[in-house]
Amino acid sequence: MANINLKNREIECKIVYYGPGRCGKTTNLEYIFKTFRKQAIGEMVSANTEGDRTLFFDFLPLGIGKIKGYDVRLQLYTVPGQVKYSATRKMVLREVDGVAFVADSIKVRRKANVESLKDLHQNLKEYGLSITKIPLVIQYNKRDLAKQGIPLLPVQQMERDLNRQLKVPSFSASAINGDGVGATLKACIKLTLQSMRKQLGW
Amino acid sequence: MEDVKKKIKSFLQEAELYQSQGLLNEAKERYVRAGQLVKKNENLIKNKNLLKVISKKIHVLKEKIDRIESGPISVEMPKQIQDIIKHKFSFSKNDDAGALEGAIALAKFGQFEAALNEFDELIKTASISVEAAKNIIRCHKALDSLDEAANRYKEWLSENFFTPAQLNKLRVFLQGILDSQGVDIKLPKKDIITSPSLETLMDTEVSETEAVETVIPEKIVEQEINDEDIIDISSVGITFTEGPKKGETIEYDVSFQAGSIINLLISGDDKELVENLRTGVVLNEVQFYSPIAMFNGKAVVSSKSEIESGPKQGYYSLDIKVTSIL
Ligand SMILES: Nc1nc2c(ncn2[C@@H]2O[C@H](COP(=O)(O)OP(=O)(O)OP(=O)(O)O)[C@@H](O)[C@H]2O)c(=O)[nH]1
Ligand SMILES: [Mg+2]
Repeated sequence: MANINLKNREIECKIVYYGPGRCGKTTNLEYIFKTFRKQAIGEMVSANTEGDRTLFFDFLPLGIGKIKGYDVRLQLYTVPGQVKYSATRKMVLREVDGVAFVADSIKVRRKANVESLKDLHQNLKEYGLSITKIPLVIQYNKRDLAKQGIPLLPVQQMERDLNRQLKVPSFSASAINGDGVGATLKACIKLTLQSMRKQLGW
Repeated sequence: MEDVKKKIKSFLQEAELYQSQGLLNEAKERYVRAGQLVKKNENLIKNKNLLKVISKKIHVLKEKIDRIESGPISVEMPKQIQDIIKHKFSFSKNDDAGALEGAIALAKFGQFEAALNEFDELIKTASISVEAAKNIIRCHKALDSLDEAANRYKEWLSENFFTPAQLNKLRVFLQGILDSQGVDIKLPKKDIITSPSLETLMDTEVSETEAVETVIPEKIVEQEINDEDIIDISSVGITFTEGPKKGETIEYDVSFQAGSIINLLISGDDKELVENLRTGVVLNEVQFYSPIAMFNGKAVVSSKSEIESGPKQGYYSLDIKVTSIL
């Protein structure tokens, strides 16, 4: 649940980018940092291993204006996608308010996408949260690779694999060019704020 | 013939792209398939070097994959990141508890040196001093420097900083860890004569009696479960209440622990057993063995995955979450 500081009149919401290894979570955040410089209220910070795989998380704080006189601040995080960092993913997910699930459109990553979504479901459950209730959007990333002749999963198939039951807003994207990155984030913010207002009775 | 060449070319293209994306297993698999096609159609391929080039690439990829898989779970991070961990991974509204939580988060992310610095400060805050001290001990355990933990304990002993009852708690806690780790250090007890005040004298006398020696550890346990930060558990015994192993208790060593989540390695040999320990399965009879106490409780299997490479290949990594303590 969003963190409300009555004294400073601030609301902090935590949005986590989740998804399989190498799907483009960090690339999403990098693009956001580059494009929404004015909104950034601090630097983007990355905890990587060599070969720029995320080890702990990326972190980017954004300010998105006021609601009822409260400054609304977003904390964007990515998790490490590599399967072995499961404990870290869970730590980063704690007290999450909204999730952007980034799926990899490359055909050979089909199974990795499904398993990562299951992992998200499981980790949320352990915090008493439900994947069907949490503000969630899905992004089908790396659509640009079709041009390079790389076999991609058709969007309809990804919808069936990942979004048949959830029926959440979904977006095609190419994070490396920025296509779809803003739309994904905006939709996620919208759902997160809606849910926050509901919880606060605003 | 053109078809085969086209196919090989597209495998190679895919492999290169996957490699550039860091999808190393996928890249390797594509190179392997390209190599198989080349071999099968050797008479059609003019470039006699191709197979060599491909196997070189596979070799390089294998090395890279190994390096990444055996890569560190954690490394010492710059201060900027440690600050984020300290402040953003602490969720308590209470200042002192929050500070303690921040320091524990540092330790959970493997930032033990930074965590030690924090705990050294926090030990001065009365309400959390014992917890901070215990965490200092835990950090030293993780850093494999238990002799330093013993030195710290001796400093605390000479400083008159903790009450005798607190010192006794810390001694029992640390001695248990030393013993379980096979470190041959016997910690000195608080000397009654050096603590003349009536209150401390009574504390000490009580803690000297046999009965209390065994009560105190249990108290620690209770308190820590509430804290949701369970003491170090060294092994667990799972009694199966259904399935083929019904009635049997099997003991497993704990490979690591994060709060109430305990990770166990179980052999893949017993297929039926592995099959039964599915995610979500509730374990109603679990014995938890810690260096200082044994207690019973319940746990739930929170995740299970097969270890696919390395020395423990074929084993399963099982996370169980302690849900209640009896
Ligand atoms: N062509 C293309 N490449 C992309 C796109 N998004 C990410 N990549 C590439 O995919 C690789 C992995 O991207 P990251 O953003 O590091 O992936 P991640 O999800 O953060 O990976 P982990 O931290 O390991 O979980 C990099 O080489 C990126 O350049 C995209 O939209 N198109
Ligand atoms: Mg990343």
